[in-house]
Amino acid sequence: MSERDTDGARIAEKACETLAGSIRGLAAYHLNACVRCGLCAETCHVYQGEPVPENHPGAKVAKVAGYYRKYHTLLGKYAPRFVGAKDLTLQLLDELIETVYGRCTACGRCGIHCSVGLDVAAVIQTGRNVLAAVGKVPEGLQRTVDNQIETGNQMAVPPEELLSTAEWLADDLKVEMGDDDASVYVNQKGKRALYLVNPREVKFFPLSLMAAAGVFHAAGESWTISSKVYDVTNYGFFSGDAQSAAELTRRVVEEAKALAVEEIILSECGHGYRSFRWEGPNWVREEYPVRVRSVLELLDEYIVTGRIKVDPTKNDERVTLHDPCNLVRHGGLSEPQRRVLRAVTRDFVEMTPNRQDNFCCGGGGGMLSMSEYGDRRIASGRVKADQIRATGAKIVATPCHNCADQLLELSKRYDLGVEIRAVVELVYSSLC
Amino acid sequence: MLDVTRCFVLLSVLWAAIALIAQVAAARGGGREEYGERSGSPGKGMLHNFTIAMLPWHKETVKHHPGKFAAGVIMHMGVILTLADAVVVLIRPTTGLIDVWSYTRWVVACSLVSGVYLLVRRICSRNLRVMSASEDYVSILATCGLLAFALLRSIDSQYQLIFLAYVGLFFVFLPLGKLRHSVFFFVARGDYGRRLGYRGVYPPTMERMK
Ligand code: SF4
Ligand code: SF4
Repeated sequence: MSERDTDGARIAEKACETLAGSIRGLAAYHLNACVRCGLCAETCHVYQGEPVPENHPGAKVAKVAGYYRKYHTLLGKYAPRFVGAKDLTLQLLDELIETVYGRCTACGRCGIHCSVGLDVAAVIQTGRNVLAAVGKVPEGLQRTVDNQIETGNQMAVPPEELLSTAEWLADDLKVEMGDDDASVYVNQKGKRALYLVNPREVKFFPLSLMAAAGVFHAAGESWTISSKVYDVTNYGFFSGDAQSAAELTRRVVEEAKALAVEEIILSECGHGYRSFRWEGPNWVREEYPVRVRSVLELLDEYIVTGRIKVDPTKNDERVTLHDPCNLVRHGGLSEPQRRVLRAVTRDFVEMTPNRQDNFCCGGGGGMLSMSEYGDRRIASGRVKADQIRATGAKIVATPCHNCADQLLELSKRYDLGVEIRAVVELVYSSLC
Repeated sequence: MLDVTRCFVLLSVLWAAIALIAQVAAARGGGREEYGERSGSPGKGMLHNFTIAMLPWHKETVKHHPGKFAAGVIMHMGVILTLADAVVVLIRPTTGLIDVWSYTRWVVACSLVSGVYLLVRRICSRNLRVMSASEDYVSILATCGLLAFALLRSIDSQYQLIFLAYVGLFFVFLPLGKLRHSVFFFVARGDYGRRLGYRGVYPPTMERMK
């Protein structure tokens, strides 16, 4: 046996083990349910962007189901060709990479509309789990996971950079708010809330962080960031590496305990919300010792309870809202951001369709960190571009920095001429 | 001979039931707890997923493919009727359900036509060919066979034995291939609805439904 053969056999064995683990308790339900009726094609933005059979949600499910059938069904074992069962060989694993990372953002929209009602995104996640276990994650995505594990944040921003950014932001905030007490708090023990941010806010979009700090100040909030553990994202979730995902979750919980906070507030991030709020406790297999909320829920509370006063005329232009799939369709958080936007803008319009029925922007599922699928990502964003154009909005609010990146690119490529803003930025600019 | 066939049908139904229960139980083996603090109701989510979420006007799949969806629904109606017919024939070999109400024969006939249409469509559509294996064609053929034999039996009682024997074979095959979706449809939809309910996605608020 050659070295490659031995290697291949070892990888295939590990892939089988992971598959067996992943399907127990969840995926087998869904893998057995797809009838390959083909009705879901148009519900998928990737298929709409590039209508080839390989982009059909049913075909993606069939690909993962082929491996399941081979190792977990009778006919799959004894009549594999008859049921389309496939061996987990090295070559087929490579094909699976393209299917589960390159052709699907695991947005879950097709599942909502599926004639049977199966969770397609969970099936795709099973495929990702298998590939992550055998080290077959696309390079860019894996690098992001490694960064996060090694440096504590996905962009490998050193803690000193966070500290200096916080410092100058605090100076600017004092001037802007005309109040010397306004600040960006870092590593302060005993505050009420630990605020997690997207490292992108630190590196490229500090105004978003400043807006949050400004609103917190206006609300008299007691809050802090940790320079050690501040990343709200979790790329282990995207890659399918549950171990890394669990490790990142544990670090946040430990830091919250160390700083003795009562609550963890997640900044605007779709997958960050889903992975920490919902998947995190499942990865670490226990309930959190502190409360967890999205900043959207907090902003909503401030406005509803009158802790901050806002003036919608300060946001005069038409605003629409993009619903991140992981926040809304997978996370169940759809209304606070709407109440907030209605309160802080003068002309808020919905996209059609919206909420759990909304289309993915095309940048989900870690797609933005996999440059090899860049063209497909832009093509799949056409549906979103059309949705935005139809609203006539000048500003697209999106409670997700990942979606914001994609929407910025879509605005350029599809000539939408829209501004992309975080919800907290609109709240900040509406403060009385 | 009739008694032997009836026994065969009963045994095959028993086999299908045991095999399907074992498959569902094996899938559930690892369990899947939600540890995050609940923000909705799993029960309400499940209920929504089995009711409102299934209404054709809530499904984009139906909006895009009304004819194909209707064919699927009609075919399944015929299958349910045919299986009910088989139960009646098993208990009272002289009458079947389809004979009692003659219009049911038409439902089964339409169902057979729908089945044939779905088979032809699977053969002709490139999208479907890419995702299909032989069992997809065989399953639909097997279903068409079931409907055809039920019709024949309702027209000529000579086909009674063949019909029952076919029903027996159908149940032997059922848990082995894609026909197992007859159970996994409920299991998957229930599981998904429960999770969406737990996380507060389902049921959507009235405001969202507008
Ligand atoms: S609609 Fe559902 S059952 Fe039909 S092909 Fe798509 S995922 Fe499979
Ligand atoms: S989960 Fe989203 S991207 Fe994946 S197949 Fe379904 S609709 Fe397409």
